[in-house]
Amino acid sequence: MKIVVTVKLVPDPNAEKRIDAQTKRLVRSGVETVLNPYDEYALEAALQLKERAGGDSRVTVFSMSPEPLRETLRKALAMGADDAVLLADSGLEGSDVWATAYAIAAALRKLEFDLLIVGGLTDDSSTGAVPGALAEHLGLPCVTNARKIEITDGGLQVERETDVGYQTVRAPRPALLTTALTFGEPRYASLKGIMGAKKKTIAATTLGDLALELPVGTAGSKTELRSFAPPPPRSQGRTVEAADGAAGAHAIFAFLQEKKLV
Amino acid sequence: MKNVLVFAEHRQGKTRKVTFELASEARRIADELGGKACAVVLGNGAGQLAQELQAYPLDAVYVNEDPAVDEYLLDPIVDYLESAAKTVGPSLILIPNTLSGRDVAGRLMVRLGAGIVADVVEVSVEAGAVVCVSPKLGGALVTHCALQPAVYGIVTIRPSAFGAARGGAGASVATLEKSSKSYAAAIEQDVEEGATEMALEEAPAVVAGGRGLGGPEPFDTLLKPLATALGGAVGASRAAADAGWVPYNLQIGQTGKTVTPKLYIAVGISGAIQHKVGMRASGTIVAINKDAAAPIAEFSDLLVVGDAFRIVPELTNLIEKAKGNVS
Repeated sequence: MKIVVTVKLVPDPNAEKRIDAQTKRLVRSGVETVLNPYDEYALEAALQLKERAGGDSRVTVFSMSPEPLRETLRKALAMGADDAVLLADSGLEGSDVWATAYAIAAALRKLEFDLLIVGGLTDDSSTGAVPGALAEHLGLPCVTNARKIEITDGGLQVERETDVGYQTVRAPRPALLTTALTFGEPRYASLKGIMGAKKKTIAATTLGDLALELPVGTAGSKTELRSFAPPPPRSQGRTVEAADGAAGAHAIFAFLQEKKLV
Repeated sequence: MKNVLVFAEHRQGKTRKVTFELASEARRIADELGGKACAVVLGNGAGQLAQELQAYPLDAVYVNEDPAVDEYLLDPIVDYLESAAKTVGPSLILIPNTLSGRDVAGRLMVRLGAGIVADVVEVSVEAGAVVCVSPKLGGALVTHCALQPAVYGIVTIRPSAFGAARGGAGASVATLEKSSKSYAAAIEQDVEEGATEMALEEAPAVVAGGRGLGGPEPFDTLLKPLATALGGAVGASRAAADAGWVPYNLQIGQTGKTVTPKLYIAVGISGAIQHKVGMRASGTIVAINKDAAAPIAEFSDLLVVGDAFRIVPELTNLIEKAKGNVS
């Protein structure tokens, strides 16, 4: 079983966000970056499937970045992935969803896999469109939000979460999957894993290796970012100490009446 | 991009409120672009929903009740939307920013070679260009993004971002040609479980509970009656979902759902950043907490410091009384 997992490095969700006035983009330097939380679940799913399948199963992590951010991949390797492929090229700077999906798909075409597992969303942009776009580019069946994955003869049986419950879906391999957060907590990297990760291979590719037909980066984007700014601040709220249940309830009820909400 | 095409998401004919919001917004945008406003309704129950959409200001509704739509995972929907987009011609396609909507949007983007802007809460037409406002990083930042002039553009719209307004002369209904393709991902079972009567993202009021509730029972005995009195839905923090007190589909926050109700009541939720990013854009935020120094104080319009187990039942009673339901 060959599994590829895509991972992304995102700014620490707990850090204060700053915008570069000139580029109108998020300042990523100086802000601690972490593995996109959704991707950690995708990787956890891949590692569980690898352990179950046994034999010569392999998990390869793939990442794309304008800068060669190798830490993302080291962390994924420390968790248990076998090797990594990094598409790093300054020409990717400014890529929108279209250009990002196009470049990732081109790089993934060079890899062999039975399963491609992608995080459901990215924490920093929350577009959620990349998994579907990759499936379409690569001509793969697309089963998102999986909480249980069974490998069957030649295919897959997936239990996926929906807005109202769950579905079981049967699909052939190779296929693209995204994982739900209920799949199971991502494992921590062990010390042995961290040490071992240093010896694992990170294969670097650039846009030149992909011979793309269409441009990527800002030039290849179909959307134009016009501004990027913090929202207007919320006005200061009030605090009321409630002596008992009735006092608290009356305070809220009066407030809701004032706001015409009841 | 001249016309506007809405993907009318539904479940077995049960409509999502966002569909009508999109239909109303489609009219406004189409008028600014000088084109038609259309919708696509697919699968079991599509005919009935098409009838309901007649009450909204659309020019045309495209329908196919092909059973394959409910038998395969989104593949037929993507095909039909592609075919509808080609029938309608150059268009901006509005898709609800839901679980299925996001998958559909990403796939359609590739089929149509379109640009995409996601999780949009405001759309305007400036000098012929479609400009979209969307919150990023859980609302910590807001972007204005323009779709480059092109034949097609796709926007996924956050539920409850727009109001639904009836009106119009009744759209023409046309049947889309049946797709002859075969599909890969087959749905074998489709189960509803722990579903709230109302989709959390679409509820006008959300009453959410956290660690402070101490267990699963108060979600039913304490929060549910208040949510019902307010005509809303119950949600939860990650702590409550992780503890197994509620199913994950009720979790609000960074790794859960993003909600923007008119009223958000946080009960026993401290207000960690993880939770904040999923509800900070709500209209009015009321918190009930034992701790006056809880982080939720920073982004609540009203924080009541006290015992939720005593306050919530009294509050529910006051609201029911005001509605004339109890004396």
